Amino acid sequence: MVVILSCLLPGLMTGETEKSGAPKRLDLANFPGEIVDQVVVPIPAEIFAVLDKLDEPDWDDGIAIPEEPGQTSDRAILALTFGSLVGEGFIAVQAKSVDDIETIGKEVLALAESLGLAGAVRPHSLGIIEAAKNREWDVVRDELDGTQQTVRTTMEKLRDDQLAELVSLGGWLRGTHVVTSFIGEAFREDKAELLNQPGLIAHFRQMLEALDGPSKASREIRALTTGLARMEAVIVEEGAISEEDIIELRDISRSMLDEYYFAEEPAEDGDPN
Amino acid sequence: MIMWKPIPTLSRRALAVLVLAVLLPFAGKLNAFVNEAISLALEAATPYVEQGFEVREDNWSGEVAPDKPLLVRHQLFRGNEYWFWAGTSWPGASIQVDIFDSKGNSVGLESFAKGSFAGVRALPQKTGTYFIWIQTAYDPAKARKELEEFGVGAEGVGEFTGTVDWGLVYGYR
Repeated sequence: MVVILSCLLPGLMTGETEKSGAPKRLDLANFPGEIVDQVVVPIPAEIFAVLDKLDEPDWDDGIAIPEEPGQTSDRAILALTFGSLVGEGFIAVQAKSVDDIETIGKEVLALAESLGLAGAVRPHSLGIIEAAKNREWDVVRDELDGTQQTVRTTMEKLRDDQLAELVSLGGWLRGTHVVTSFIGEAFREDKAELLNQPGLIAHFRQMLEALDGPSKASREIRALTTGLARMEAVIVEEGAISEEDIIELRDISRSMLDEYYFAEEPAEDGDPN
Repeated sequence: MIMWKPIPTLSRRALAVLVLAVLLPFAGKLNAFVNEAISLALEAATPYVEQGFEVREDNWSGEVAPDKPLLVRHQLFRGNEYWFWAGTSWPGASIQVDIFDSKGNSVGLESFAKGSFAGVRALPQKTGTYFIWIQTAYDPAKARKELEEFGVGAEGVGEFTGTVDWGLVYGYR
């Protein structure tokens, strides 16, 4: 329906531009209006785009598709895994690896089946594979974003809002790990600044705190809660992020992913995977 | 990828009003499926997609009393360029958008506001949390005119209830 409505709407840039009534400065501590609670988590591709401008990372090296991910019936862990696998897809797009994207597209669908969302995800999965074969990388990125959004929206409709947030956390964590791995290999302050995300970490911490149901007490969720607290201690608002901080963030994110996404054997230090 | 083709012979607000008038009686049921404010914001984004901006699927939306400002927190990365586009579909409503850094300074480099949609561009000088400011306005006379112009005069249809819809999307490159 949204698409139909939009198709009916004529073009833009007609009529007069109105003068903006926005203030030049805001007193954020005494804002007279409403602060919107909803948080939109950036997709890994947003950070990857900057990293590509600053460096030439070997994205192939960053791909690490786990064998048979999501071998659990715990929907919270499945949601996290789903998000991380979509994050993996964004890495594979940077690497322009058609085979890996195809594998990820199929794994995404398998995970969606485990979550009972295969119907909603199938068109995206097919779109990812098709666009990768055509080497239409922008389209693959759009489909990956769309996949995550479809799953989140469907979960919210099913009153599974918390699962939807876990999908975002999974994607963010996979992206954070690969970014810290690359920055750790060739440190520069301007690249390290990409990790200045205290607001997002605080958001994820609050989300895990508010989680209910048996999953909250699971080993994986407890490990994520601890990991986020450790990350928050490293990323101090307004403070510069050092090379040591980046290495620490890389190791923390890896240990968190090891809980539910990667195989048991941890990678050696410096390995972008 | 946004690839909607506009029909130039119809005015956007006219169609929005007509569609809204048709949908209003079912607003509660259809809310999950139709978000006209987001559709308008996405429509505003369309020309920028051709300039290489990747528009995110995720977005913000809701309802707000006119003239009451809203702030949306969002993480931006230095090195990317951003556009934020806002929309409102309520008859007689208009919207504005701007962006501020964590100290409250306006950092919008370029902006526009054209009634039911608006946009602002930013090139963050630091990676961190930014605040997108949105404010709507409502003009009852304009609303009546828009509804009358298109024959939407049934009692209760399009009646202002104290809030208007808003939607916000963004793109980066």
